[in-house]
Amino acid sequence: MKIVGLESLIFGVDDVRGAARFLVDYGLTPVDVSDRSGRFEAIDGTAVVIARQDDPALPPGPVPGCRLRKTVMGVADEATLGAIAAELRRDREVRRLPDGSIESIDDSGFVIGFQLTARRPVVLPGEISNAPGGVVFRPINSLGVPPPGSVIRPRSLSHVVYFVPDVAKAEAFYVNRLGFRCTDRFTGTGPFLQPGGSLDHHTHFLIGAPPHMHGVEHFTFHFGGPSEMITNGYRFVEKGYQAFWGPGRHILGSNWFWYFNSPFGCHIEMDADMDQHDASWQPREATASADNSQAFLLKMRRKWYPGPGIPENGDYA
Amino acid sequence: MATTREARSPRWLRLCRADEIGEAQSRGFDPDDEGQDSLFVVRWQGQLHGWRNACPHVGGAPMAWRRDAYLNAERTRIVCHAHGAEFMPDTGLCVQGPCRGERLIDIELVVDADGELFAKK
Repeated sequence: MKIVGLESLIFGVDDVRGAARFLVDYGLTPVDVSDRSGRFEAIDGTAVVIARQDDPALPPGPVPGCRLRKTVMGVADEATLGAIAAELRRDREVRRLPDGSIESIDDSGFVIGFQLTARRPVVLPGEISNAPGGVVFRPINSLGVPPPGSVIRPRSLSHVVYFVPDVAKAEAFYVNRLGFRCTDRFTGTGPFLQPGGSLDHHTHFLIGAPPHMHGVEHFTFHFGGPSEMITNGYRFVEKGYQAFWGPGRHILGSNWFWYFNSPFGCHIEMDADMDQHDASWQPREATASADNSQAFLLKMRRKWYPGPGIPENGDYA
Repeated sequence: MATTREARSPRWLRLCRADEIGEAQSRGFDPDDEGQDSLFVVRWQGQLHGWRNACPHVGGAPMAWRRDAYLNAERTRIVCHAHGAEFMPDTGLCVQGPCRGERLIDIELVVDADGELFAKK
């Protein structure tokens, strides 16, 4: 099944205006925003959609406290859409919506949708590192650090992480019914999952958790590279948003990460430079300690040389 | 919350003027200059309540989603914007979410006769 990845995530929120400002400050482009709802797109058109939590058009979340109301995945062709509908109709309702997409529910209670992907093709070089002996270099006189005031935008909706009460059952649904592959696994926690039409290390990660945790841990967009992503994160912090973990680099998936609190009842991440794998990849398994989650974690030092206001040997506290 | 002139001692940290925090508003403070608010104050039904900025769900997790934004839109609950836990503004009891039944750590507050708000160290 050629599921190419996430197309959009739909949230019900209690403060549309505040959530809209948050997403614009994150870097997304607002489309059709009102006091009741809005769509916020990455460069390729993948998006977060928000609506008032009491909007009757919103499907229910898996549990009352979960603000994620629907996860929409993109598929490459009508054949895949038909195959998914036929597969899921074996044991559950599948609705065909007026926009041509289909809607159903996964085995953990998350409402899922599938549509022909509307991702816009993006041709935009990623971050390039200059290295002695390298083959690809940045153009001469171009700068590695994004200059102040430069526009940084998320490129594509990357992945969503669910807390699920029965992780084996949740994984079986995505693997056996929708053709996802496990690329790596945290022992006793859950699998990183890749759909058949994507090479990304994961578009879904499942965490087994008690029923009262049922919901979302985080979601994230891919940025053009670590320098862009971390610059965007610092700008986000300067705007008053609350960082939770990062910036750093994960081990499984290798993606650079920075997590923030959000008005969506879950974390939001900025990520960059995730590994890609094909079917020849052999899944690894690791315990889910912090040491196995962060290859390194960066810390900003505001002053690092002797000067006004700091000891003459520098501030190395 | 007490009202006393005895607040002006080294045991008490001055936060702001008490009347700067209006009804159903919240405000974070970083008295030790850690670069992140370590406590926040909420005025709810007229009373000021001080809480550590640390969700009991994930050890020490900061709770606001934006500077000073610790409450839900209806201004009826304190919310941890990491995983959506909701707390009563006056008791700190978690009433919905991943740490239901647990409590925020309270900070003792005092307003002196001049209307200055202090937190106990």
